[in-house]
Amino acid sequence: MPELYALHQQELRRGTIVLACLLILKKPNYGYALLGQLDRSGFAVDADTLYPLLRRLEKQELLTSDWNTEESRPRKFYRTSDQGAALADTLSRDWEELNAAFHALKEES
Amino acid sequence: MTATTLTDRYVDLTLRRLPARQRPDIERELRASIADAIDDRTDAGSDPAEAEHAVLTELGDPARLAAGYADRPLHLIGPGLYLDYIRLVVAILVIVVPATAGATGFLGILRGESAGSVIAGTLGTAVTTAVHIVFWTTLLFAVIERTASLRTVPARQWTPDALPQPPSRRARHGTVIAESVVAVLFTTFVLLSPVVSTQTDAAGDPVGILSPWLWETGVVYVFLGLALAGLGVTVAKSYLRWSVPVAVAAVLLSVAGTTLLIWIAAGDRLLNPAFTDAAGWNSDVAYWTNAGLIIAAVLTVVHAVVETAAGFAARSWVTPSWKSMIHTIVDGVSLRTSRR
Repeated sequence: MPELYALHQQELRRGTIVLACLLILKKPNYGYALLGQLDRSGFAVDADTLYPLLRRLEKQELLTSDWNTEESRPRKFYRTSDQGAALADTLSRDWEELNAAFHALKEES
Repeated sequence: MTATTLTDRYVDLTLRRLPARQRPDIERELRASIADAIDDRTDAGSDPAEAEHAVLTELGDPARLAAGYADRPLHLIGPGLYLDYIRLVVAILVIVVPATAGATGFLGILRGESAGSVIAGTLGTAVTTAVHIVFWTTLLFAVIERTASLRTVPARQWTPDALPQPPSRRARHGTVIAESVVAVLFTTFVLLSPVVSTQTDAAGDPVGILSPWLWETGVVYVFLGLALAGLGVTVAKSYLRWSVPVAVAAVLLSVAGTTLLIWIAAGDRLLNPAFTDAAGWNSDVAYWTNAGLIIAAVLTVVHAVVETAAGFAARSWVTPSWKSMIHTIVDGVSLRTSRR
């Protein structure tokens, strides 16, 4: 049963990481810090999934990036683009609609 | 600097699987991420070497990470192409393998090779052809899977028209009756052939058309047994639902019966030499009778194999449609190669 739960949970959560990244990165941040932030916000994700994902979102022009070389360790900072912010708004609305739909289902039964 | 750290080796291995122009940027970011993660662990009181080991363990197989960066699939052929792939492989296999194997066997017989070497040559060609077909088709689809421009072709829309049509009840009765009549006539002819004949020997006894060797060795009874079992399979196919055991039994019986026939014909053990002499037949008659039987046997096997393959695909008793099968191949090949 725990395996079955893990399987379905993974299916359910797939895609929520993208939305969470787009929302969090309205304030610029770099990969490793974002990993911790996602974890603390309840969106656990593996590093080997997140790092390639950030680059994919950048390629899709949903994120922009800048190298910050002011500190001793240069870091790549990602930030949600206007296009990314618009997509995040739409996806958030979809999420809320789903949430409302689930509530309606539960009240019916 | 000769001492390479675990991190160096990890990053190197990851970058090696990436396009050169992406490497510098990814290297810089990956190294920073790994260093940050190690720092976090050492700040919490972990030993530096242990921390590095733990961080890299968490990042996982470099090949997987690189595939993520390069957006490369971690499968040979994905679900988008899988059905097209399987259909194409099966369609080519069932058409080309029996054709090339049959041609090899036929040429072997024409060259007058022994039965053993004809069978070995035929099987060898069948295996080689099948391996080539599966290998090259798989390679083609693996390339398509990895070439974005080839994958943009929309899959052909499936429609209910493609559903196989079950044979009607009357058609099924008809098949069973026809096959039973043929089987009874055939068995009667074979069993009576030693005693009922147009030719007689010096003592006035009948000379059977079929070689006495068949009776001496009992091969004729094996052959008739296989034919009757085949009739049983036809009955099962007509009145039972499709099932793997019956489907496998059907194709095995067909292959066994035809192989036996090919073996008999290839060894020139079918016709009674005494009969052909008595009837004054040219020696070519026996030769072409054998050749004709072998061709018919090969065609029967081809049909049985195609029917079984189509049956497995549809999970029902279907009659293979050569037209749609050739369409699948032509469509599959032209869709993938011409339109980009």
